Amino acid sequence: MPEQNDEVLLRVEHLCQYFGPTKAVDDVSFDIKKGEVFGLVGESGCGKTTTGRSIIKIYNITSGSIYFKGQRICAGTTGYKIEIKKARKELAELAKEASKATENKAELEAKLAEKKKAYSDLVIENRKKISAAKFDHKHSDREYAKTLIARTKAEYEPKLAAATGEELKTLQKKYKDELRVAKKTKLITKIQMIFQDPIASLDPRMTVREIIAEGLVINGIKDQNYIDEKVYEMLELVGLVREHAGRYPHEFSGGQRQRIGIARAVVMQPDLLIADEPVSALDVSIQAQVINLLNELRERLGLTILFIAHDLSVVKYFSNRIGVMYYGRMVELAETDELFAHPVHPYTRSLLSAIPLPDPHAEKQRKRIIYNALAAHDYSKQQPTLREIIPGHFVLCNDEEEAKYKEEFGF
Amino acid sequence: MDKILEVKDLKVSFRTQAGTLKAVRDISFDLERGKTLAIVGESGSGKSVTAKAIQGILAGNTIIEGGEIFFDGKDLLKISEEEFHHIRGDKIAMIFQDPLSSLNPIVKIGKQITEATLLKSKLNRREAKDEFKTLLAELKNNMIESENGKNADKVNDMVKTFDKFMLESNHLENAYNIASTNAQDLDSLVEDFLFLASKNQKLDVKAQLRDFKNRLGKLKNHFLTGKFDQRIEEMKDELSGAVAAYSPKANNMEPVLETVNKLEDLLNEIVEQKKPDFTNIGYYKLYCQGADLNKPVEELNEVASKFTDEHFMNDFMEAAKKGVEHSYNKALENKKAILPELKKAREFFNGEFDKKEGKKAAKEISEKVDGTIDKLEFIKDSTAYTFRSAVSNGVDKLFYFIKRNPKEEKRFARQSARRDRMIARGKTVTWKVVPKVVYPPEQLKGNIVQVVDRLSEHYEDYIDTPVDFDKRTGDLIDHFKEEASLVVYRVTKGMAKEKAIKLMKEVGIHEPRLRYNQYPFEFSGGMRQRIVIAIALAANPEILICDEPTTALDVTIQSQILELINKLKEERNLSIIFITHDLGVVANMADDIAVMYAGKIVEYGTADDIFYDPRHPYTWALLSSMPDLDTKEKLDAIPGTPPNMIYPPQGDAFAARNKYALKIDFEEQPPFFQISETHRAATWLLHPDAPKVDTPKAITDRIARMNAKRMGGEQNA
Repeated sequence: MPEQNDEVLLRVEHLCQYFGPTKAVDDVSFDIKKGEVFGLVGESGCGKTTTGRSIIKIYNITSGSIYFKGQRICAGTTGYKIEIKKARKELAELAKEASKATENKAELEAKLAEKKKAYSDLVIENRKKISAAKFDHKHSDREYAKTLIARTKAEYEPKLAAATGEELKTLQKKYKDELRVAKKTKLITKIQMIFQDPIASLDPRMTVREIIAEGLVINGIKDQNYIDEKVYEMLELVGLVREHAGRYPHEFSGGQRQRIGIARAVVMQPDLLIADEPVSALDVSIQAQVINLLNELRERLGLTILFIAHDLSVVKYFSNRIGVMYYGRMVELAETDELFAHPVHPYTRSLLSAIPLPDPHAEKQRKRIIYNALAAHDYSKQQPTLREIIPGHFVLCNDEEEAKYKEEFGF
Repeated sequence: MDKILEVKDLKVSFRTQAGTLKAVRDISFDLERGKTLAIVGESGSGKSVTAKAIQGILAGNTIIEGGEIFFDGKDLLKISEEEFHHIRGDKIAMIFQDPLSSLNPIVKIGKQITEATLLKSKLNRREAKDEFKTLLAELKNNMIESENGKNADKVNDMVKTFDKFMLESNHLENAYNIASTNAQDLDSLVEDFLFLASKNQKLDVKAQLRDFKNRLGKLKNHFLTGKFDQRIEEMKDELSGAVAAYSPKANNMEPVLETVNKLEDLLNEIVEQKKPDFTNIGYYKLYCQGADLNKPVEELNEVASKFTDEHFMNDFMEAAKKGVEHSYNKALENKKAILPELKKAREFFNGEFDKKEGKKAAKEISEKVDGTIDKLEFIKDSTAYTFRSAVSNGVDKLFYFIKRNPKEEKRFARQSARRDRMIARGKTVTWKVVPKVVYPPEQLKGNIVQVVDRLSEHYEDYIDTPVDFDKRTGDLIDHFKEEASLVVYRVTKGMAKEKAIKLMKEVGIHEPRLRYNQYPFEFSGGMRQRIVIAIALAANPEILICDEPTTALDVTIQSQILELINKLKEERNLSIIFITHDLGVVANMADDIAVMYAGKIVEYGTADDIFYDPRHPYTWALLSSMPDLDTKEKLDAIPGTPPNMIYPPQGDAFAARNKYALKIDFEEQPPFFQISETHRAATWLLHPDAPKVDTPKAITDRIARMNAKRMGGEQNA
């Protein structure tokens, strides 16, 4: 296992992503720690891909915040707007009531005045939040660069003051270089993505060299030799050879194309890799090649990976922690072994009972647990929230269910 | 064993610009009725091509180099497109890998699902009628002949009666079945209503109650609801009362729930009744004066069965048995007589003959073979039925190539010479010579002789096999019943819609009534695949070919679909060819597994053989390259990619990627080594002289783990 500590690399807080009336992702929160592989599973249409895409800013999120390396990179505003709307509606209703009322008019009017003040406070506060969110959403790169610059300055200034002569000169040069790098760093390029379909995600009219180098070129690197070196390095890293740089994607097999996709992502030296079903479209024998490659890269480069997949055997093999999603909500989140040993939420149980195994005898006796959201829960009294049942093991439940689940664990 | 489909020595290649691509190289397998055969392999191993060959939907550049596919007394490689229309989709249905391209984008889903059901209903009735009539006429003739024509009048009468009452019985049964299905549907709707009500979900109570009332009114069948007529009328009144009493504002659910609960009890009683035995009741109704159909079911069954047996069935069965025996004996005599003729034909086809002689001989022997077929055997004998087409096809092919071969040689020589000349002149040549397709006449003659040999071997076996005539007659009568039920089974649009909605529900589509009227683009990928499966199943096929049906789906849906296919297989005695690259999926489904690599079957066995005792290195590699829930160590990936099949490797195709490859693997193709009766593998490692190679540790570990788990599970149980 690569080094893993408790430093949180990515934090997703109350992420909501609505497409019109469809709640693709609804109030999802999780942390990804540095160096770990976080698996996201669920059936198709449950919002796991949308979550991945929201993180990398392909969509503008509806509400919630995403923090990467402590810097807020995505923030939604609709949630605040809805809050204002709701307060305004309440206020209007109260005003209507007050104007109609005959008996305790004075009392109601006092209440109304109070409410009005609360409303204007709420509006001011939420507007502030909205503008902050908009600012962060737009300028997260600059803000991050600023903190980097400040950090570099803080590191070098005492050293520069202390140094003299030749030492000062080299130090100054180094300082300048680092400062420039810090200025140009774009936070969002530190998150990269691998896509499901290796055929559709590579431009058929670009050579492999152009595909891999595209990100570097966009980031303003003009030194052709440097780019070539980088491309060759990446090709060798993912198990291809230099000669492949001049070819076009159609000349490769499926597994090799997926390797090109991985090289394209890794060349940006990302801290976080979002792998959206990277092996689902591949043959079994090729799948193993790609999984082995990802494992190797993770060890060598210390990558953190958000692994989105529906094949639970692969996810289990590959991930440290797993989040299970169902209809846009996170229903259970735990360490991999814990989740497979003690699944709590009925949906997780049904999911685990459906994994096909290479064992005919076991398969013929397998009883699949069928999950029916309506039959399994009674949320008429209280809506569920994500709660920690035992340390590190979160489940979506309400009070009643929490007590039941805890009992199962023997508390 | 009852083989429904036999594939023999199938060879398929594709003509491409770069040369001939050998997609399938000499594979043979049998599919048994009611079993699942899984074909496993990487993409490009030829598994889909095999499936397409069975469906007759190979691309235009295909060359079928040889082999046979026997189904229902026909060779699917040699029949015309017209004949294929009766088989494709109807008898053999297919679920494709890509759901997007197998749906029509501008036709609503509902129409696409019901289309086949409606079309097939008409066609099936016509076909079943033909089959019923010809088979009955054949039986009649044999019954008369068996007594040398003494009882002709009696037999004529009997057969007429049989014909009449069979149809009557099936009319009754059909009506009963429809009513019973409707009752079940209503029952499930009521259950849904109660469930949603108990969860405090929003409901359109008035509309639902009206719907219940309507449906209840339509449940009219003497045998199903005869006893309940009065209660149904009362229930209808009560429902109307409930509709009037309910107001959405007050949401007074208690009286409604009381009524609906009552309705559910009533429906349960109706549904749980014992089904009457209609075969006998039909006769009883038609021929017993003063028949009383209002008796309780058990009594009615008994009376009708007694009456039918005494007055008709016993006599008929006896006569029919004689007829069957007579037909069998006649065919057997002919079979014995034809063996020397076949020997003669064999010699003839081995020798020299010209086109005219050849055709004449083929015709003569074919006619004689036709005479040996026992027509009362309703499971058709493929080898005998395809003999005519196989021999005449062989003769045609022989003389075509005798004419064609020299031309082809000349063309090839000319083009190669031209190419060489141009190269010699120092020009860059961008084109390639199309490879020559030449078959030596000896080989073609051999093919004909092989057909003849196979038939005589088959007949020798046949003569030795003993026959149980009682069972045979019983089966034949059952077959008549089946055909008769098809004749009367008419599907209306409404029924097709209900069936489609039920199927949609079964494959896991929510709100099927709403989605019935949507277009394919309104569905997600997984949903589309379910629709495709529903369409394939709607036609009630005998063989279902699934080409990676669940590859694009996630686990829960995948296991739902697999369970669905398994369930349908049990219910309808469906035979399935399941094509996939995921061995995990297969463990649950397959009875037999064929592992394919580079157009050849490399290992063949039962599911237990393949999973618990794999022998071929490729099977090892497939098994160890996928993680299961307990895998922790590094995965054993198979290095490299499959070979280019335009230039198939000389020896074992897997040798280049195989870490256990021997020297001989690169030189000569391994034959099949039989490991047990059901299990065989094509690898030199099984040769007695080969060095001993153990199964890889990852696999033995896993098998040990699985065994341990099973033992533990049994102890707990």
